[in-house]
Amino acid sequence: MAKVLVIAEIKQGVLKGSTAQLLSKAKAIGAETAVVAIGSNIELLIPNLVNAGSDTQYIADDPGLELFSAGPYSSCVVDAAKQFGANMIWFGFSESGKTVAPRVAAQLNAACATDITDVILKGDQIEVIRPAIANKVMQRIKVNTKQLVAVVRAGAFDSTEGISGTKNVVKLSSPAPDLKAVIRQIISEASGDIDLADANIVISVGRGAKDQAGVDLVKELANDLEAGFGSSRAMVDGGFMPHYKQVGQTGKIVAPTLYIAIGISGAIQHVAGMKGSKVILAVNKDPEAPIFNVSDYGIVGDLFEVVPILREEIKKIRR
Amino acid sequence: MKILTTLKKVVDVELNIKVKNGAIVEEGLQYVMNAWDENAVEASVQLKENKGAETTLVSISGGDNTDIIRKAYAMGIENGIHIDDPALTKADSFVYARILQKVYEKGKYDLVITGKQAQDTDNGQTGIILAQYLGLPCVSNVISIEVMDEQHIKVSRLGDSGTEIVELELPAVVTVSDSINQPRLPVLRGIMMAKKKTIKVMDLAALGTSNDEVGGATPKSEIVEFIAPEARKGGQKFEGDVAEITARVVDLLANEAKVF
Repeated sequence: MAKVLVIAEIKQGVLKGSTAQLLSKAKAIGAETAVVAIGSNIELLIPNLVNAGSDTQYIADDPGLELFSAGPYSSCVVDAAKQFGANMIWFGFSESGKTVAPRVAAQLNAACATDITDVILKGDQIEVIRPAIANKVMQRIKVNTKQLVAVVRAGAFDSTEGISGTKNVVKLSSPAPDLKAVIRQIISEASGDIDLADANIVISVGRGAKDQAGVDLVKELANDLEAGFGSSRAMVDGGFMPHYKQVGQTGKIVAPTLYIAIGISGAIQHVAGMKGSKVILAVNKDPEAPIFNVSDYGIVGDLFEVVPILREEIKKIRR
Repeated sequence: MKILTTLKKVVDVELNIKVKNGAIVEEGLQYVMNAWDENAVEASVQLKENKGAETTLVSISGGDNTDIIRKAYAMGIENGIHIDDPALTKADSFVYARILQKVYEKGKYDLVITGKQAQDTDNGQTGIILAQYLGLPCVSNVISIEVMDEQHIKVSRLGDSGTEIVELELPAVVTVSDSINQPRLPVLRGIMMAKKKTIKVMDLAALGTSNDEVGGATPKSEIVEFIAPEARKGGQKFEGDVAEITARVVDLLANEAKVF
């Protein structure tokens, strides 16, 4: 029987949606589930971890784990994996997950797959599907080892309604701190921003917005829709949007119900980050912009004219 | 400070990639230096120029990588090692990491800089696995490197909650984000000088190892097939009176796509 260990994604004391999504998939493929949660003051989250669908909860709770540090976090995951006897270890698509997963795989001598969109079990044989070459192709990969460590693409798995688990808490001993890679400080992003990976609607702004005034205009639309507010690379490079808002191959990969690309030309690297969205609306004044090749609905027009009208029309419709 | 920089030759992702019978169609493909490795080269050359670091690149392949090595030379890298062995056409991150480990152990390096991922696989594993094999501290997705002293560097990394500031004791491994710098274009003088530089070419045997020893014969995972993704087709595109078409689209979003 498959045994899947899911690494809980916790941000600012909140359990992220990916945890329930990964646990749901694990149950859907008939696996026994466990979760490992790492941080400080996280015991409060135990009921959430159970409700997310885990049948065992490995908890590493220590003030020394408050700031993310790859070495100690990897040790906790390896500890939980060994205790649980996991044959699969799944991380949500986060920077922490992406840096810890290969370490865990190397320590366990397991295979490692990043950005997987599906898992197929053929008896003991594990296969995964994942994108490659800037999301232009998919690969089907056969795992030759008994264990697989994987980072799961954001939104690849769905949460099951009414999923639940069993409370069975196992405390992990605190890992040694990494004395050679010392985390000094984390310069926080503005909190209160809707996380792009969790948002149902994401609106991204591109070079067409030109400057801060244009960005602010598009932000109003995002606020109206309570949407995640993202960016193309160009606006990040221009200093108008912070790094963590970049949607693209090298930034965040999102798959919301609705993605609105405003003033974005549709370069491959950006499209790689959003083409999994259910519905795409693009606004661009260039009728030949490549973004129109991937959008379901396209408005050819100047965003400075279109956005105010969009806001009006959307307000009317939602009344 | 001695820096080892890794280079991978990869398919140019700007091109149209086609899949036929489960494999990528080779015809029409062009190969380039991995974009993230350009950032790694630039970061290394900046440390050479600002801190007098000595720079060496290593590239691994089952074929000719001379073009990308010469480009890295033209950008300013001083020494180059090419591990060229026909057995390596199916290498995965773990195999690359084992080979890099062998190369590292043959020299004396203080810092290994790799790009954070290769644009063909988008795996982002090799540098991190290498650090694990070498028992070295590692920070990935780095956007700045500052030398503190002979033994320490300070890096900033794009993490989940914000920018993480980490102090690393050398020797260490760092994987770099494309946000770290703007790679320079090689200038003519650099290109001319690059033509005259030697590249140390070795197969696995000359490196003192074998495909078996680096795990190449029994990879942990392998690609069974490539699949063309469901093409996302362009849908409806509206031109004309902006007020009209925008109202139209919002109506479609609500009643056809049902997203509102």
